[in-house]
Amino acid sequence: MRPFTYARAGDEAAAIRAVSSGGRGTRFLAGGTTLYDLMKLGAEAPERLVDISALPGLASFDTAGPRELVFGAGARMSDVAADSRLVAEYPALSESLWKAASQQLRNMASLGGNLLQRTRCAYFRGGEPFACNKRTPGSGCAAREGIDRGHAVLGGSEACIATYPGDWAVALVAFDAVVDVAGPNGARTIPLQALHREPGTTPEVETSLARDEMILRIRVPATPLGRASTYHKIRDRESYAFALASAAVALWMEGDVVREARIALGGLATRPWRAQEAEAGLVGRPLTLEAARAAGEAALRNARPGHHNAFRIELGTRTVAEALLIAQRRA
Amino acid sequence: MSDMPYPDALRVDAFDKVRGVQRYAADNARPGLAHAVLATATIARGTVRRIDAAAARAVPGVRLVLTHEELNGLKPPGFLMGGGYGFQSIQPITSPHIAYRGQPIALVVADNLEAAAEGARLIRADYAAEPHQVTLDAPEADIVAQADSPLPKPMFADVKAGEADAAYAAAAIRIEADFRHPPQHQNPIEMLSTVAEWRDGHLTVHEGTQNAEAIRHGLARQLGIEPERITVLSPSAGGGFGQKNSLQAHTVLAAEAARRLERPVKLVVTRAQIFHDSSFRPASRHRIRLGADTAGRMVALIHETDSQTSRHDLFPTQYTELSARLYGIAGFRGRERLVRTDVQTPGYMRAPYEHPAAFAVECCVDELAYRLGRDPVALRLANDTTADPITGQPYSSRYLAECLRRGAARFGWDRRSMEPGSMRAEDGSLMGWGVAIGAYKAATAAAIARLRLSADGAVTFSVGVHEMGQGIRTAIFAVLVRRLGVEPGRITLEIGSTGTTPQHLTAGSWGTATAIPAAEEVCDALLRALETLPSRLSLAERLRAAGRPYLEVEVSRRAPGQPEAVMGRLTSGLPAAMGPAYPGYVSFSHVAHFVEVRVEPSTRRIRVPRVVSVADCGRVISPRTAASQLRGGVIWGIGAALREVSEVDVRYGGFLNADLAEYVLPVHADIGTIDVEFVDAPDPRLNAAGVKGLGEVSMVGVAPAIANAVHHATGRRLRALPIRVEDLL
Ligand SMILES: Cc1cc2nc3c(=O)[nH]c(=O)nc-3n(C[C@H](O)[C@H](O)[C@H](O)COP(=O)(O)OP(=O)(O)OC[C@H]3O[C@@H](n4cnc5c(N)ncnc54)[C@H](O)[C@@H]3O)c2cc1C
Ligand code: SF4
Repeated sequence: MRPFTYARAGDEAAAIRAVSSGGRGTRFLAGGTTLYDLMKLGAEAPERLVDISALPGLASFDTAGPRELVFGAGARMSDVAADSRLVAEYPALSESLWKAASQQLRNMASLGGNLLQRTRCAYFRGGEPFACNKRTPGSGCAAREGIDRGHAVLGGSEACIATYPGDWAVALVAFDAVVDVAGPNGARTIPLQALHREPGTTPEVETSLARDEMILRIRVPATPLGRASTYHKIRDRESYAFALASAAVALWMEGDVVREARIALGGLATRPWRAQEAEAGLVGRPLTLEAARAAGEAALRNARPGHHNAFRIELGTRTVAEALLIAQRRA
Repeated sequence: MSDMPYPDALRVDAFDKVRGVQRYAADNARPGLAHAVLATATIARGTVRRIDAAAARAVPGVRLVLTHEELNGLKPPGFLMGGGYGFQSIQPITSPHIAYRGQPIALVVADNLEAAAEGARLIRADYAAEPHQVTLDAPEADIVAQADSPLPKPMFADVKAGEADAAYAAAAIRIEADFRHPPQHQNPIEMLSTVAEWRDGHLTVHEGTQNAEAIRHGLARQLGIEPERITVLSPSAGGGFGQKNSLQAHTVLAAEAARRLERPVKLVVTRAQIFHDSSFRPASRHRIRLGADTAGRMVALIHETDSQTSRHDLFPTQYTELSARLYGIAGFRGRERLVRTDVQTPGYMRAPYEHPAAFAVECCVDELAYRLGRDPVALRLANDTTADPITGQPYSSRYLAECLRRGAARFGWDRRSMEPGSMRAEDGSLMGWGVAIGAYKAATAAAIARLRLSADGAVTFSVGVHEMGQGIRTAIFAVLVRRLGVEPGRITLEIGSTGTTPQHLTAGSWGTATAIPAAEEVCDALLRALETLPSRLSLAERLRAAGRPYLEVEVSRRAPGQPEAVMGRLTSGLPAAMGPAYPGYVSFSHVAHFVEVRVEPSTRRIRVPRVVSVADCGRVISPRTAASQLRGGVIWGIGAALREVSEVDVRYGGFLNADLAEYVLPVHADIGTIDVEFVDAPDPRLNAAGVKGLGEVSMVGVAPAIANAVHHATGRRLRALPIRVEDLL
């Protein structure tokens, strides 16, 4: 294991200062469930870690506000998942956390770290001898002609088809969440949809954050769509597995007719994937089985299969359709 | 004494395990311990041209780096199936040759684990790669017909009975199908780990194993020292499942490093490395041809297999030993071939032959039931037998029909409608009910048992058997408590560690049938020795009356018909088990599994909410741990059928999903109700205790019962495991 230094930050400003002045090898550390894992695999090799997991204030969250829900980046997945207001008013948000990882991991992991988890692509994680543009830019992509069963069918590029594995960000994208971040040059707010990048020709660049920018909180506008929502996750086993396909869906129904719909896809794309075209197709019409299926098809219309993952296009289509019906029952 | 059922009793080590008191080899953290980490090959086949360890040696805290340049004097362990002790014949890091990706190329030893890991990362090798091949689709030259191979005969000759081909050709109903089984890995939670230490020329090895004696004798061979100078301590292994059945490749490396450093060395093989540094269930494919007459009598079964082996060893297969014996089919022909691939040598993962073979055969039997329009349970009952089709001998006991009848009643099988897709659950999902049977040889190993009663009433018992979590300690306690009337708190068991009685390989479900009869016999011997003293006194009082501080008795026991010479194998760490064919009879354990699956109508997820399993393992000695074994076997079957696959990228060799997040085992949420029952009828012909084996038979037949249930739910016959979402979309 490569040597690294570890320091615990006293407050947010100090943490940002430490990461900024520490230079390229300096990183924020929250629960460590992603970062330590990747360090052991040699996929990350920071020289300095600045621990923000004990920062006062960063862990708080408030789901009762009239205008927005506010989640500190340091809040634990398990605490937020169990929040009774979230369970009742925004089931999709709670479910996306409940259905992620394991209880032990959720007890450790923070919401901010969760957003920044990295792909589970086995070639990326395995390192040598695999070619991987994300791990070693320019080395090639072993997945394209390899075991791509879990790889993305949406948003991939010549250089990389790695799936964004997280669940929480998918649910957030459906609810138009934003993230407040702060860096040495001040604070800014980014729509969650603009946080993650598609791989393009630079798969090693995964987000629009600067290295020394810290996520402070995530904000979700309060919306009547919360109640009739679900995070539907299909995986290879019933728990402790990443999504083969998932859908975060939220509905605002007027009688039988859809007034507004939100659809985001997980497990299928290189980043959290909002399916606005599919949403638009539902509005103003009754939500029938056929309409749900059509929305699923619209959401996956531009999907491109590889060698072993074509089934996930059909699976994704059905997952969206099923999720819409689950959400409808909650309306 | 086989006439009385045993009462339920607590697992004797449960309390310690729950509290984390139970210690495993890797828990050893004594001061002065050095830590070792393996560096492994990144090519699938070839040669190490040059290895650069300078950077590794320069890491602060690194004390020793061993490469093939240092270790070329170490001798190979010999292959378990070729008169040796190792899971494979080659010893990594003793030559520049690379036989598979993941093969160790260097060992780095340091004062702490972090430095050792960093050193291992910095090992640089320059390779000359050669073309490799890792699938069953191999060129002819890599395919070996087992019958024509040097493997010993008749053990590995093709199994034949009657005229299968002619009977098949003439059969009114013929079913032909191909089945595929992927490679899978055992993944016991206790990883392969060794602490090795030398003191005054004596080597002590702490390692969880199923075969302490093979480690001892194999290390002696590799290190060129007397076995008397080696002690192997394995009081409790954290799961084995066949992975820990022999001398592992890393053990001698820890011993050698400890010798050179003159300090104890701990070597834990990481989870990812275990996928490449120990045996696994090989990929196999099976062609079945099953013929029957219109009345539903099966008349011919032809079972042809291709199974993966390594390039350096022939890991033999015995798939057809099982398929020939599930039913009373007069015409049987087997043909088994081995396919050489560039991997480590595969091995005996739980029910190694029986689970894949039963999958192939039992799916075809279900298909036959549908061709005949006959209830699958009734068809099986109609084809049961009392004589072994291969040898013509009777079974010592065979309660398969009883398992099927009891299971059907318990499951509510009579409420099943035959038509596929005809049953719906309350939630609208498709419901399928499937059945399949399984069998596993009732083998027995030679054993020496020793019992000491002290005048203070304490009892010390030793026999050759290992505790891997299956519950053998609890079973032995049950016998000692019943026979000697001794309090459990006064019993000390010495098992799993060398230096007491010979610690023969514990595998193949022969542990109970080996240790329990030996325990009963040695109790009898003790009681006989005390017979002359007044019987109203307790055993310890009699001893005191005789003025003796203790009394020790020993018995030596062979399987029925085993020659005297087998004791030599026992004491030299070689396999000394036999079965299923004994003089005058054949012995098998049997099981019937009934499975309910639900298939979601939309996303087609398959769930297994309910399983009923009834087993015939002879007399049940420890009801609690036996039930746990059976449930565990069912869970393995669910994993094997629906979850587990070691993924192979042919370009790179090795295994891709080498960790517990990506190698998909069932989790709690995947498991519903598993309702188990035992026939609990003793088999006194096999041994006086009436016990057969249980661990392995438990999982045989689960996978086909699931596949058959999936067919019942959906009308689809799925013949390649694992069955996953994509297969039903
Ligand atoms: C076996 C396993 C299974 C899993 N399964 C799932 C699953 O099914 N679904 C799912 O969604 N997730 C899953 N995860 C991922 C898990 O949810 C993440 O590892 C976790 O949420 C990361 O949070 P953390 O606090 O531990 O982050 P860390 O590991 O501490 O950090 C992760 C990254 O984020 C950066 N970072 C952390 N906090 C901040 C911040 N406030 N500002 C800026 N940068 C920051 C770190 O520098 C680092 O790069 C799984 C993980 C494992 C190991
Ligand atoms: S898909 Fe991306 S992460 Fe995976 S191997 Fe290709 S480049 Fe690397």
